[in-house]
Amino acid sequence: MDALGGLLTGFSVILTPENLYLCLLGSVIGTLVGVLPGVGPLAALALLLPVTFTLTPVGGMVMLASIFYGAMYGGSTTSILLNIPGEAASVVTCIDGHQMARQGRAGAALGIAALGSFIAGTLGVIVMTFFAPLIAAAAIRFGPPENFGLMVLGLVCTLFMITGSTLKGVLMIALGFLSAAVGIDVVNGQERFTFGSINLSGGIELLAVVIGLFGVAEVLANVEKMLQSTLLTERIRNLWPTLADWRAAWRPMLRGSGLGFVLGLVPGGGPVTASFMSYALEKRIADRPDRFGKGAIEGVAGPESANNAAVAGSIIPVLSLGIPGNPVTALLLGALIIHGVQPGPLFMTQRPDLFWGIVASMYIGNVFLLLLNLPLVGLWAQLLRIPYRVLFPVVLLLSVVGTYSANKNVFDLWVMLGFGVAGYVLRKLEYDLAPFVIAFVLAPLLEQSLRQSLVMSPDGAMILLQRPVTALLLACSAILVVLMFTRQSRTEGGSR
Amino acid sequence: MFERALNAFWILLGAAAAVYAWTLGLVSASGPESGLFPLIASLIVMTAGIVLLVRPATRATDPDFPRGAALGRILGVVAGLAVMALGVPHFGFAATGAVTMVILLRTVERTNWFAAIALALGSVVVILWLFGHVLGMVLPRGPWGF
Repeated sequence: MDALGGLLTGFSVILTPENLYLCLLGSVIGTLVGVLPGVGPLAALALLLPVTFTLTPVGGMVMLASIFYGAMYGGSTTSILLNIPGEAASVVTCIDGHQMARQGRAGAALGIAALGSFIAGTLGVIVMTFFAPLIAAAAIRFGPPENFGLMVLGLVCTLFMITGSTLKGVLMIALGFLSAAVGIDVVNGQERFTFGSINLSGGIELLAVVIGLFGVAEVLANVEKMLQSTLLTERIRNLWPTLADWRAAWRPMLRGSGLGFVLGLVPGGGPVTASFMSYALEKRIADRPDRFGKGAIEGVAGPESANNAAVAGSIIPVLSLGIPGNPVTALLLGALIIHGVQPGPLFMTQRPDLFWGIVASMYIGNVFLLLLNLPLVGLWAQLLRIPYRVLFPVVLLLSVVGTYSANKNVFDLWVMLGFGVAGYVLRKLEYDLAPFVIAFVLAPLLEQSLRQSLVMSPDGAMILLQRPVTALLLACSAILVVLMFTRQSRTEGGSR
Repeated sequence: MFERALNAFWILLGAAAAVYAWTLGLVSASGPESGLFPLIASLIVMTAGIVLLVRPATRATDPDFPRGAALGRILGVVAGLAVMALGVPHFGFAATGAVTMVILLRTVERTNWFAAIALALGSVVVILWLFGHVLGMVLPRGPWGF
């Protein structure tokens, strides 16, 4: 099926009242999640994943995907008006966005953020429409050894992009593998790390882990500091950027779109990295870098475009290869598996309705989000008046509902609490939690690929070197590991 | 001090998991067994723990753990969630959720009684309606039927 034919199929799937409603609902929830500080897209996806169990796979995935990209739109509102990022990808928007608001240009900042997000989001989906089938067509020839090589490279790239200690990242990946090993081995039915507990025989629940690490841990971090902020309450006017604003912003928007899309494709990249790199790029190439930090519109247009384009980029490896590059796409992968869909190179040919339905919904979702974030921005701004002390108990109740709903098992609530406390402590000690979640989701697939590879090989592990694509992927992984540790030792040497 | 204890914990965890994985079997004539993959992961955990323990440069620069009122708020939230996990099977979501929320608002946030009760009841009713009624999710019920 060619890209345009596929896209038409997608629109025929998505243009039903139910799917349009779910796309709109996801966009509203995504914006809400982006606007409210302390509730990230990952926690929201985890909380709402059980809701999709009653929906069709297309409806469920459309809603979850629209929450993901909707949060990128909403995050800028809080950054600009409150100087607190609504979610991590909008951290950098605080710098110039809030300065613009303080200078009475909140409308222009919000307008350029929404329009930049729309342009980049739409450009990203257009490239995705034509690019994803090419990747899937190449990957369709992959067997278990190539899949293994691909997943190893994905994990190494994740490590390459993390901030802080690489060694701690490696440890998190290994812990993710160990945690995923708990339960019954699907190959031979043997129990692993269950210690006779019936609660552990089904494995550790993904939702409890994610809600704990990213929902409860976030609440703990926020109640410790008790967010205090000043909302800029002046009436928001002049949302449509002036000609001068457009002149200053269109190039950063396009650069942000390109950079964001490419960084979204790379495992470990995603919206957060994209927004930071876009800001750094704009500042570096600016005629007057001293304007940055004092209300430069390029500092809003670039990062806000980049984080939206990165969403489209980061969804491609999940849908065409079955490999997540960040925790949010790892959860989307988990959602596909829960819905009985096997992600991977065959996904596009086996479930064209689902693949193209998600792609088509992203075109429509971007239009919904532009409408929600331009004319209705005043409404979202009012939500910022809700104090965090009111918000956090509700988030905790939702965490309990979301975790319990997966299996109707109270044990999962204890798992959530345990991972919440662990996540809070580990963040204090500068451990990056993203590699843990990605490894936790990928581990069963990676183990299966390795075991299948070894079973099908008469020469044991040599098959990993005999297959050219696998050997190339593993060689790239090895080079990246060497580069990573060289960089780390240089950094440590320099800091001593 | 705390980080050193955590690194020692990683070493112990990795060693214990490696020993357990070994007993599961590593390789047989039909290929890898259940223990191979966990053994590799355990050895990585253990090795990483050792390196983290002996290299001070890898330690967090300023962990800034909470004290005083901030620690009280953290413990309040943890206790609230523990109460939820203990109470939900016996008293259902609505009653446990409302009571926990009142406790959290009173102890963690020092909200006045009237506002705490109103907010707790309002939040629980909205969640029950949205998730239980509109979205059709099954929430745990207490002996009184809700």
